[in-house]
Amino acid sequence: MKAKKITELALLSTIALTIFIVELRIPNPIPIPGVKLGLANIITVYAVYRYSPKETFLIILTRILLGAFFSGNAMSLLYSIVGGLFCFAGMLVLHRLLPQKWIWLCSVFGAIFHNIGQIIVAVIIAGFGMLSFLPFLLFSGCLAGAFTGGCTQLILNRNFLRKVEG
Amino acid sequence: MKRIKILLITAAAIFVLSLAFCFWIIRPAQTNTVEIVQDGTTLYRFDLNNTENQQIEISYNGKVNTVLIENGKICITNADCPDNTCVHMGWLTAEGLPIVCLPNRLVIQYIQSGEADAAG
Repeated sequence: MKAKKITELALLSTIALTIFIVELRIPNPIPIPGVKLGLANIITVYAVYRYSPKETFLIILTRILLGAFFSGNAMSLLYSIVGGLFCFAGMLVLHRLLPQKWIWLCSVFGAIFHNIGQIIVAVIIAGFGMLSFLPFLLFSGCLAGAFTGGCTQLILNRNFLRKVEG
Repeated sequence: MKRIKILLITAAAIFVLSLAFCFWIIRPAQTNTVEIVQDGTTLYRFDLNNTENQQIEISYNGKVNTVLIENGKICITNADCPDNTCVHMGWLTAEGLPIVCLPNRLVIQYIQSGEADAAG
């Protein structure tokens, strides 16, 4: 991997991590475990469309590991990792079918896969009662996914990161 | 284009169905029996109508959750965890939606009506 590539990936991971930490500071109005906006996924979706699967995977893994480290919430690490990998795998397949105009839809499916992954972990840890959270996660996930995907679309259309890279 | 349409319809279906399930889950409770479960084992069972006001402390690996029962209602008032989601969830009201503290693996829920009958 070239130094330029590594720098780009490091920059993206840093942006994702910064967004993640800032979002933690915003009070969550919805008191259901797992419901959040997930703004850091703007970077994930961006990477899925602009970088190779391997590079995207590195960005996601770095953000999740360091994010859990910085937020001091080791318990959420398991949810984030499984959710993140589900989301990554789902979007990897779907981004081939969906052109750039439909990024928001790809992001919605990413969110849906993320929620399914989270719920699987929750069911393993705390039993089948956790399934009752799935509809809430899916509903909010669809909205949040469309929003973050829309943000990614705006960024890609403006193309400003490519200018920075150039 | 056809694939996109299918995906779009799938996403819309998931969205609408999840909304419908949300409303079904937050229906008011039919029973007054709640149970407090930690890590899969039932610690307490209460009939909220016949339980005195009290405070219970439940610890898990040194982390403590404080559960409050007051006037036939139950909630978590304090938790040793970073997010405090369970405290923000407030009183237990919905039959399908338990109060959960995932870091401490604590669940407070209404017993499903069938089970409550069996428990007598």
